Amino acid sequence: NDLDTEPKVQLSLEEILANDPNAIEGIVSRLYASFALSGPNGPTESDISDDAGESPFLRGIINLQDFTADGMKNRWGDDGLDQLTTTSNWDANNKFFRYLYNRAYYTIPQCNNLLSILNTATDIPDSEEAIYEARFLRSLAYFYIIDIFGKGVLVTEENLNETTPLPEASREELFNFVESELLEIQPLISLNNDYGRANRYVVSMLLAKLYMNAEVYTGTSRYTDALTYLNVVIDEGGYALATNFVQNFSGDNDNSSEIIFPLIADAVFSQSFGNTTYIVNGNLGTETMNLSDFGASEGWSGHRATEAWYGLFGDLGTSVDARASLFWTTGHNYVMADYKAWTDGYPSIKFRNTDSDGSSSGATQFSGTDFPLYRLADANLMYAECALQGAAGTDMTKALSLVNAVRTRSNATPITMSDLTLDYILDERARELNLEGHRRTDLIRFGKFTGSSYLWPWKGNVQNGTSISTNYNLFPIPESALNANPNLEQNPGY
Amino acid sequence: TTTGAITNFDGIYEIQATDGDILVFSFIGYFTKEITYKGETQLNLTLEEDTNQLDEIVLIGYGSVKQSDVTGSISLITDKDFNKGNMVSSDQLINGKVAGVRITPSGGQTDAAPNIRIRGGASLTGNNNPLIVIDGVPLSNINPAGVSNPLSLVNPNDVESFSILKDASATAIYGSRASNGVIIINTKKGTSGETQFNFSTNISVNQASEGLDMMDSDAYVRFIQEYHPDYVKNLGVPVGSVETNEPVTQIISTSVGDRAIYDTDWRDNVLRTAFSSNTNFSARAYLFDALPFRASIGYTNAEGVVIGDDYERVTGSINLSPKFFDDKLKVTANAKLTYADKNSVDSGGALGGSLVFDPTKPVYNNATDNRFGGYYFNTNVDGNYLRIDGQYNPLALLEQRERPETTTRFLGNLELDYSFDFLPGLRAVVNAGLDASKSKIVENYFDNAASTYRFNGSDNNINTNYVFNPGVNYSENQALTNTTLDAFLQYTKSYEDKFVSKLDAQIGYSYQNFKNDGNQDRYLYNDDTGLRYEVYNESNPNNRYYNVMNLQSFFGRANLDLLNKYLFTVSFRADGSSLFVDDDPWDPNAWGFFPAAAFAWKITSEKFMENANFVNDLKLRIGWGETGQQDISGAVGYYPTTPLFTAGGNNSQYLPGAGLYSALPFNPYLTWEKTTTLNLGVDFSFFKQNFVSGSFDIYKRETQDLLARVNVPPGQGFSDTFVKNVGAIDGKGFELNLILNPIQTDAISVSVNGNLTYIYNEVTNIGGQSDINRSGSLRGTGAFLQRDVVGQQAQSAYVFKQVYDTNGNPVAGAFADLNGDNIITDEDRYFAQIAPNWNYGFGLDINYKNWDLSSGFIGQVGGNLYNFNKLNYGFTETVVPNNTNSITNALDFYSGAANPAFENVNGNIQFSDYYLEDATFLRCNNIVLGYTFYDMIKDGNVRFYGAVSNPFTITNYSGMDPQNFGGIDRDFYPIPTTITMGVNFDF
Repeated sequence: NDLDTEPKVQLSLEEILANDPNAIEGIVSRLYASFALSGPNGPTESDISDDAGESPFLRGIINLQDFTADGMKNRWGDDGLDQLTTTSNWDANNKFFRYLYNRAYYTIPQCNNLLSILNTATDIPDSEEAIYEARFLRSLAYFYIIDIFGKGVLVTEENLNETTPLPEASREELFNFVESELLEIQPLISLNNDYGRANRYVVSMLLAKLYMNAEVYTGTSRYTDALTYLNVVIDEGGYALATNFVQNFSGDNDNSSEIIFPLIADAVFSQSFGNTTYIVNGNLGTETMNLSDFGASEGWSGHRATEAWYGLFGDLGTSVDARASLFWTTGHNYVMADYKAWTDGYPSIKFRNTDSDGSSSGATQFSGTDFPLYRLADANLMYAECALQGAAGTDMTKALSLVNAVRTRSNATPITMSDLTLDYILDERARELNLEGHRRTDLIRFGKFTGSSYLWPWKGNVQNGTSISTNYNLFPIPESALNANPNLEQNPGY
Repeated sequence: TTTGAITNFDGIYEIQATDGDILVFSFIGYFTKEITYKGETQLNLTLEEDTNQLDEIVLIGYGSVKQSDVTGSISLITDKDFNKGNMVSSDQLINGKVAGVRITPSGGQTDAAPNIRIRGGASLTGNNNPLIVIDGVPLSNINPAGVSNPLSLVNPNDVESFSILKDASATAIYGSRASNGVIIINTKKGTSGETQFNFSTNISVNQASEGLDMMDSDAYVRFIQEYHPDYVKNLGVPVGSVETNEPVTQIISTSVGDRAIYDTDWRDNVLRTAFSSNTNFSARAYLFDALPFRASIGYTNAEGVVIGDDYERVTGSINLSPKFFDDKLKVTANAKLTYADKNSVDSGGALGGSLVFDPTKPVYNNATDNRFGGYYFNTNVDGNYLRIDGQYNPLALLEQRERPETTTRFLGNLELDYSFDFLPGLRAVVNAGLDASKSKIVENYFDNAASTYRFNGSDNNINTNYVFNPGVNYSENQALTNTTLDAFLQYTKSYEDKFVSKLDAQIGYSYQNFKNDGNQDRYLYNDDTGLRYEVYNESNPNNRYYNVMNLQSFFGRANLDLLNKYLFTVSFRADGSSLFVDDDPWDPNAWGFFPAAAFAWKITSEKFMENANFVNDLKLRIGWGETGQQDISGAVGYYPTTPLFTAGGNNSQYLPGAGLYSALPFNPYLTWEKTTTLNLGVDFSFFKQNFVSGSFDIYKRETQDLLARVNVPPGQGFSDTFVKNVGAIDGKGFELNLILNPIQTDAISVSVNGNLTYIYNEVTNIGGQSDINRSGSLRGTGAFLQRDVVGQQAQSAYVFKQVYDTNGNPVAGAFADLNGDNIITDEDRYFAQIAPNWNYGFGLDINYKNWDLSSGFIGQVGGNLYNFNKLNYGFTETVVPNNTNSITNALDFYSGAANPAFENVNGNIQFSDYYLEDATFLRCNNIVLGYTFYDMIKDGNVRFYGAVSNPFTITNYSGMDPQNFGGIDRDFYPIPTTITMGVNFDF
């Protein structure tokens, strides 16, 4: 019957399974890609209604985790981004909050769909690994809902086809779900998986991140549990700090021994305005820099670090710390008197599109540098923090040596046991990990994000910083989500 | 009357009469004229055509009726009512002529799409275009690639009449696609009379009106010095760096040296005085005394006012309507062939660019080191690379590229109408239609085109490491194949002097299939070599797209005429749509059922009206019916109920070694949207010579199960928004059509036509969400101006109330606290309507001896328009570069075109009602003056005319054009004022 029209370009599940022996892996690939790409049709098209350039997941993580915090600011003045970079005037209409929310809740049902397919199909071989990976990626998406918005809805393969709006799930419910999922798959998922894919250590790392922040998320601290899984990563994972710090952020970082879980980028076959392209191009500007020195053909003159980051290295000119050299100072002012002026503040040149030896096969529009979402240095510093928080079974000597391993790798002077304090850890995390999507979470965990105990440039839209309200520890639930699901309630203060 | 006479074919007559006798001259289709005989030996006169002819045939879908027997709300517009002047596309013929039909051009392009709405449209996300049927062939909602206006592919000179079906009792027979009304276009047919020829030709001159008040060079220099002193160094160009004939207006010294300032009006540079011509020839004949025949050819060459916007069209048509087997088999064959060739320029880019390009820069730069073909470009040195910085020269944008879009379209049908012997009055009708087109688009860059400027990464020499890539940059081939087939049986019987005077019943089946099959060649640039290469995607090697929609229907209709006074119509239709079929074609969701009924009372036929001689015609109509909507393909594609995957493109892969597959969103529960209409109408004609005639309709309409794009509850779908059946809209309104014939004498006739439309569409249910169907994108994604909420008119603007200071200047970001809770949140926003409630059109036609003068006006009262340019170019920081070194122009802050109170437009500023303006306007569409020579050529006449289109618009709206369809006035292609001279030969 002609009424049953058949597509010829789009494919049914049966067709892709019949035509492509790697079809399941292709769907898994899409789930990973969901954290870096705007969609399956190139960098200018989006699989959600949001802008393809602005809305990818990783770009949202950088915007919400780093620009809201002390170390990085954006100067474009774009509506929404400007409020974020100045931690002021947040409201539910801000599209940048919606982007991340929509990306998370795009990824989750895509995972659920694959799980549903694999649970019902009987003739798909070796599907267990795909199931574990899908459950990990779903947990990762939920982690950002828990951390950034504090609550949401709990959608799994069980209620995949439910159309009536689901009830609101509290932060604790989501926490419990993610915890139980990860605990279940951690012992089952493979020890070795291909580069860029989840394995036991990646899962352990997410568990550790969840437990590290458990007090913020649930009111109960879980440093001891965090430590358990950090030990798995550090002692069993076989990762080693890269000898050259900047290799972790260069075009050849897929060879780095340190990276536990990257978000892959490629200048040709995996293009996005929201993967490391956003970080590399965003920190470059032709007014003061040569783009080609960093392997880029576009400079967006957007991001610069603040003295809250580079001030932690003392005098940049004389610092021996390799990490202190990763700011572009020529033509730029140390003080960010006007966050909208390109020359106020130093662009971060930590991420680049050249290889770690500085070579480049040519400047490209899109970055081919992978984003190190989890790497060993982070685990080292997390271990030390757990130790200082008094987690059971910690070894302070090991903590000190893990911290010093991170420092000496960058030629920084080692510290002594007496230097090792929680405040020191927070600063060391800034020196080591800023612009890697962790900073806002860290500041909140240390109680320094809201209020006035810690001020940074342009906090609260004032040059020297001012106190911001505690409700800014969570972002507002996007107005579009409240509109679509009346069971959702706005976070307090918005 | 006691004696009579009939004229011969040449109009010669003889009659016996004496002084004082009254001679009555009459002819079908003309006003009857009475003259008192005063002894003349020769009495010549011309009868005036009757503009309200009740015996005219109205097409009603699968058949026709006399206008006097119409039961629904149907407007008939025939060639004598058409707008005159420079008519390039068929929709222009009726703009402003029919109450309830609003036609809004999308701009002044040569192939601008008209937005046609009958009674304002009944849907939200569904297609709101009326169904267009040409000679029985329903058109697809999809246009051939490169064609914006489907009606530009029908030569206006071939059109005989439009039947516009407005209420559901009239449209329900078209069921599935009829909820937004139906426009039936009937083209000219052969004749059984004398052979007639027509030749017409005209030429036009088009000129754009003035644009926005952007700053000129002097004002701009002053502005940058005053507001952005840091950027004074970016004004103009370094002295001596540019070679051009353009004069330097001043030299200013800056921190980076002396700068030469030019004075460029960029808009002037991308616009031109455009010329168009239009030539048609047609012949009607009765071939071999047996075969009615008409054929026409036409040639149109039109220029848009934006440079390079060129359009050429050749049309040909043939109509044959022979009869066989003692006239039992009537055959009608129509074939129309159109070839159109359009150079599609980036007019949006050029017009937008011409607004913001720094006016202190020159247009040309012929310096030997300029790489870009003599056009000025702002560049900077980045290491070893000389990069273009900032905006592309808008003139180069137009002149460094060509994009011919050619379409060949065949539209034809073959209708067989057979009357059976065994049961007189029974006919079988089969109509097969084909609308097939082939389109080709080729985008081609010329030498030194800035858009193709790239670098060779292996060359470190700044003077040699660049490449240009002239040649093909994009191409597309598309074939549309739309096939339709209707077949029905009809039984008609008339009875003399019986209670039932006429019975008419039919049942039938209709099949419509729309196929859109094409492929695109896409190109990318190699980052290492800078060379362009064609993208090859393994999962879809030639970038094919393939969309097919199928509709099948069963229908029946019965008309009953009692005592020649009471007319009843009932109809029923069942429609199936492929869009709602996953795999079961009999899925109940896929089928919609659409009943309708109507009653008309011919009051003038009643006995008690016999003496009311001043009433020529009076008829009351009442109709009720349901119609459906299913076309959401524009929003969610052709397979919205089916779970499908799409393969990832070349540059959207992730894990190596596995081609990426992404699950597409779908909604298995989608079904028909239904609109119910109740219509009450009256047709009337009063006094001698139809001094006053017209019609009045009042209606109430309700759309349920609205198909709307809504936010998906988070996590409960494969995207954040999708289409769903949700909510309801109530519409109501009335339409008045009025024709006055105040003067009808031999020498002079004056006729005034006018129409008035009131429409009010209110959202009554949105399925429990706070709002749905957000639209009207402002700055940034998701910043939507309009939405649908319960209790408001559809697509109202959701805005804050601007606060002004004591001098009347807006305070940036300050809004009225409407709910009085001392904080400004979304709760303080209010709704303001966008679409106007009142539309009108009127025209005046005067014939004096051989002179004819006609004119047409349209307008709206109320309705709001968002002045996006005032937002986008009206804040002082808009000129500051974002990630380039070049600065851009803005509205003139010194002339009051913009207010310097706005430094930026962040946050909720764009939702201020400051930008919303009353869009009331009156526009003169055309004025035509003609003179006809009746004896200049043998057996024929010649008419010369001059016309002016769009000479003036009266409005208080401050933006580009108050006549706007979407509610947001952006970079608008100006609608030109056109002066046309033409001649028409009939012989």
